[in-house]
Amino acid sequence: MKMLSGEKVNRIDIKSSEYPSLLKEIKDPPPFLYFRGEWDINIFNETLSVVGSRRMTGYGEIITDEVISAVAEAGITVVSGFMYGIDAKAHEAAVEAGGRTVAVMPCGIERIHPEHQAPLYEKILTTGGLAVSEYPGSTPPALWTYPRRNRIIAALSPFLLVVEAGLKSGALITARIAAKYRRNIFAVPGPLTSSVSLGTALLIKQGAVILTAPEDILNKYGKYSLTSAGNKKPWEGLNKNQKRIVDLLSVSPVGIDEIKRNTGRSASETGADVTILQLYKTIILKNGKYYLNKRGDKC
Amino acid sequence: MLIRVTSVSFSGLNTIRIDVEVNIADRGLPSFDIVGMPNKAVAESRERVRTSLINSGTNFPLRKITVNLAPGDVPKEGAFYDLPIAVGILSGIRGFSIPGESMFFGELSLDGSLRHTKGTLLAALFAKENRIKNIFVPEQSANEASVVKGINVYPVTDLNQITDFFNSEIKLEPAVYRQSEASGRGGAEFDMSEVHGQEQAKRALEIAAAGGHNIIMIGSPGSGKTMLARALPGIMPLLSEEESLEVTKIYSSSGNIPPGGSLIAARPFRAPHHIISQAGLVGGGAHPQPGEISLAHRGILFLDEFNEFPRAVIEALRQPIEDGMLTISRSLERVTYPSRFILVAAANPCPCGYLNDETKECTCTKREIIRYQKKLSGPILDRIDLHVDVPVVDIKKLSRGLDNTIKNESSPEIRTRITAARKIQKERFKSEAIHTNSEMKNRLIKKYVPLGPSSRSLLLEAAGSFKLSARSYLKIIKIARTIADLEEQTDINESHIAEALQFRPRIIE
Repeated sequence: MKMLSGEKVNRIDIKSSEYPSLLKEIKDPPPFLYFRGEWDINIFNETLSVVGSRRMTGYGEIITDEVISAVAEAGITVVSGFMYGIDAKAHEAAVEAGGRTVAVMPCGIERIHPEHQAPLYEKILTTGGLAVSEYPGSTPPALWTYPRRNRIIAALSPFLLVVEAGLKSGALITARIAAKYRRNIFAVPGPLTSSVSLGTALLIKQGAVILTAPEDILNKYGKYSLTSAGNKKPWEGLNKNQKRIVDLLSVSPVGIDEIKRNTGRSASETGADVTILQLYKTIILKNGKYYLNKRGDKC
Repeated sequence: MLIRVTSVSFSGLNTIRIDVEVNIADRGLPSFDIVGMPNKAVAESRERVRTSLINSGTNFPLRKITVNLAPGDVPKEGAFYDLPIAVGILSGIRGFSIPGESMFFGELSLDGSLRHTKGTLLAALFAKENRIKNIFVPEQSANEASVVKGINVYPVTDLNQITDFFNSEIKLEPAVYRQSEASGRGGAEFDMSEVHGQEQAKRALEIAAAGGHNIIMIGSPGSGKTMLARALPGIMPLLSEEESLEVTKIYSSSGNIPPGGSLIAARPFRAPHHIISQAGLVGGGAHPQPGEISLAHRGILFLDEFNEFPRAVIEALRQPIEDGMLTISRSLERVTYPSRFILVAAANPCPCGYLNDETKECTCTKREIIRYQKKLSGPILDRIDLHVDVPVVDIKKLSRGLDNTIKNESSPEIRTRITAARKIQKERFKSEAIHTNSEMKNRLIKKYVPLGPSSRSLLLEAAGSFKLSARSYLKIIKIARTIADLEEQTDINESHIAEALQFRPRIIE
């Protein structure tokens, strides 16, 4: 609930010219939009809304990171709900890529929820982003404020990206609202063995666009990727054994024991190679599995 | 008529001589008293001695009997004064003399027979140190005492036998040490080859055993943490004779040696439940008894559900882990028990246990996970060198592995490497007071683990990249030293450092 020092809460009236036009279009726009940060209406010029599960998997994390980094670098504002999981990862990736991002809060504007993400909250504001809410004061979030918040997320962008979603999830609710608002929906495909990929699979079945690369989104905005992902070959400067690990991980991410079994080398040698690859930032450890780091510039 | 019999008193693992003086006076009202700071168990000796003498067919004298346990200012504890007191009285009424250089030790049963008594080994060691040639102990404890060479250990079944012996009616043969059946697995419940998958965890245990490093395993329920821990004694080097005696002393003093048992040959494996009290873990009591950490001396202390242990109990582990011993101070006495063990901790990754699990969904909220992992961190984790994830092994992949021709290494094979690595360490630290790499402090790390420029720069790069603390940095060096020892290499190269980095702490991500 803490306020940043010397900072005021402001609000934008729906009658103001500064009010985001996309939000005005819907049937029940909030009469006032409370916000923290420096209000700049240009932030809403090009926006992508992102939603996803709180129970983010390593896969979801990697994909969010990859897609959002490219999107943010292209100057597109990332709008999300500041919940932990995919939301937080999307904000974080946007900030790290030097982009701006808007956090739509489910609670009163003076409250940071969830509290343990306060450092991220501050980062969003200090990098030119915004926190917005339709509720003043420090009202705590309630069950009903989440879907209300989701309509704002859906409304603020012409496109909605759903990364991971369960069959019963806020992300699916947001997608339904977005469809009602005639927004285009991108869904990230995932393994059907994962419960948080069943929701996105359902969206795809119902006609959402399957996202296979960040360019799918960028093209819609008339942009192209600034980071040429194919530029840096992940296996440059690696020895034969390390290349084998890279080959293995390019098929699917696995844990270290499986790397050992598949490469047929000792646990000791595998451990050493994996550490070196991690230091080269060729691979990343997420939730107990190693993934190829396609972006190659952060750990 | 005054008779003097030699016995012993314990203070922890230390012994002092006690003279049991029995006086049977012709004057005064019939009575039977014990003086000399006896505690409850000693005072009750009166009833046991009187009854067992009567039940052995002795006419208990209706005279004033005074027993003095000298010196009088040392508190006496234990039931083993029964035998010296009874022998003193018997000598008085049956008129036999007690040969010099003899001592007596044992608890009586009411029928006059002797019961297995705790502390017998310590008593026998005391006898040897004090050049007492003969020690009379209960038959069931004789094998325990007979470990001590150079003294005569006489096994005694009952009071009549000892009377007959002193009246030269029968002969008693000193006990000959019989080795108790050592388990072929060196105390391990499983062989490492029975554990399928978990190659990384097995490797971590190998390093732990080789360098005496403490280790924490993080994994979901059913991933095999307990099985791995229980296989660990089997890859540790066998107890040396000296170590075995150290362990047996602790077990003897706390009554943990079964009747007829003797030297403990297998590495101790202690797995206390998390409801244990602080005194139960580190030892305590008015007459301090050894706790689980001392019973785990030279072996393994396995704390499953590590984060469920009360903080105070865990914090009490810090000192013994640093020093390899713990001094327990009470108003009556101060006792030091050794406690050089490998701590093997195991914990779930989150409150529900299924974080990152492929087979089952984690139901915890982020906040719960953060709180849980915070609890798992803290000063004690600083004393744990190796951190390893133990993921659930996919049963389908596992069964594929079973048909595979790849054979898992057996515990004895791994033990060979570890024994060699231990030998290298012993040689390295011969002029220091330590035996293993894990015991090295900063000064010794600088002295014994010089890093080449390439190893150092790799480590520095990793320290930045993985955000290692200064303490973790030193731990990595110690682990790398052990890895190099396992390969019998003098110098630490980059791959040693790189492998060591796999075991860095990464609970909070």
